[in-house]
Amino acid sequence: MLTNPQTCRENLVVGRSTRMRAVFDFVNIISRSDSTVLITGESGTGKEVVATLIQQTSRRSHRPFVVVSCALFSETLIESELFGHERGAFTGAIKDRPGRFEMADGGTIFLDDIDDIPLGMQVKLLRVLQNRTVERLGGTRLVPVNVRVLAGSKRDLKQLVAEGKFREDLYYRLNVLPLTLPPLRERREDIPILLDAFLERFYRARGEPMPPISPAVLQAFATYEWPGNVRELENACERIAQTNTCGTVRIGCVAASILFRARQEPAEPEMAGPPLPATSTISLDDRLRQVETTLIRWALDASHGNKSKAAAMLQVKRSTLGDRIKHCGLDEGPLETRLNSSLVDV
Amino acid sequence: MVTRERIESILARVRPCLVADGGDIELVDVVGDSAVVRLSGLCAQCPSAHMTLHLGVEAALREAMPDFGNIRLA
Repeated sequence: MLTNPQTCRENLVVGRSTRMRAVFDFVNIISRSDSTVLITGESGTGKEVVATLIQQTSRRSHRPFVVVSCALFSETLIESELFGHERGAFTGAIKDRPGRFEMADGGTIFLDDIDDIPLGMQVKLLRVLQNRTVERLGGTRLVPVNVRVLAGSKRDLKQLVAEGKFREDLYYRLNVLPLTLPPLRERREDIPILLDAFLERFYRARGEPMPPISPAVLQAFATYEWPGNVRELENACERIAQTNTCGTVRIGCVAASILFRARQEPAEPEMAGPPLPATSTISLDDRLRQVETTLIRWALDASHGNKSKAAAMLQVKRSTLGDRIKHCGLDEGPLETRLNSSLVDV
Repeated sequence: MVTRERIESILARVRPCLVADGGDIELVDVVGDSAVVRLSGLCAQCPSAHMTLHLGVEAALREAMPDFGNIRLA
């Protein structure tokens, strides 16, 4: 199956890129699981949409599904929000109130923006995840909860652990089934499919047929960087549906930022280098290596790391480029990046 | 510094996008720090496209030349 259009709460999960197929496969595999899922992806890549998909394909699909954004609350509020409070626990606590964990009992909780949760709160959350019991603020008894936990993060939690901003023990507790959502710019082949799917939905909502799309618009959409990912693309489609007047989607319906900031030609490599001293000596080899490094880095950036393309840009053989990369010490580091961006690091 | 050459070079950058949809943008005149342009093609008639093209081209010009005034349509 190449496409997997799923309608969940009016959200579309669409894509036939290798990376999205891997996401669908993974969601399929974990559908019978009750384990914690950690969904990592940039803003707008669809963490909540995928969380909903996981919930809907799980055995708990007919049980409560509670979504909480951990970024919405202050450090003091979040505890009462997640775990609830007893009457009189603090000023304004006029009655007992169950927290989100209790509301999700028997079902699933999606803790979005888990990377924004304050350090002080992390230890409390860890205890809940370990013991599966919550204690309301100002309460004295432990309430057992049967909740499947999904967590969403826009930042790499492992990185935050390394920076001392996220507890390592909580990270391991959450990172049971890791799922990484690719940014839209890394699955460009899905852009036309998403464009069609969103436009179709907006026009269907109005009961009108979908207008044809001009090649110029497709071209602009295909080359734009989409820093806001699928959410930005969805908004661009809404704009088209709202402003189109002529029956064909042309460039006039597309935001100027998308048209004119479409991926620009790679910049000319900076060749300046340090100034040459008037009298003293310099090392020709070192200087040549600097120049070589600059040019190779430029080609790798422009080709998005594709070494065959970079070699073609530099008019050298692919194997030669490999040797030169080693020679310039450029082969350290990128491996780490590749590993981090791998889709599903199970 | 706003010059005809610099305006033309920016317009040359945005033009392919308009041409691809059967339109064009033409520099008619430069008045002080501002430009008079003529938009043609189907999108030139559309009020929503006006927002995109007029303001978008103006933003592109201002990005390249911070002292650029505004564009007027011929």
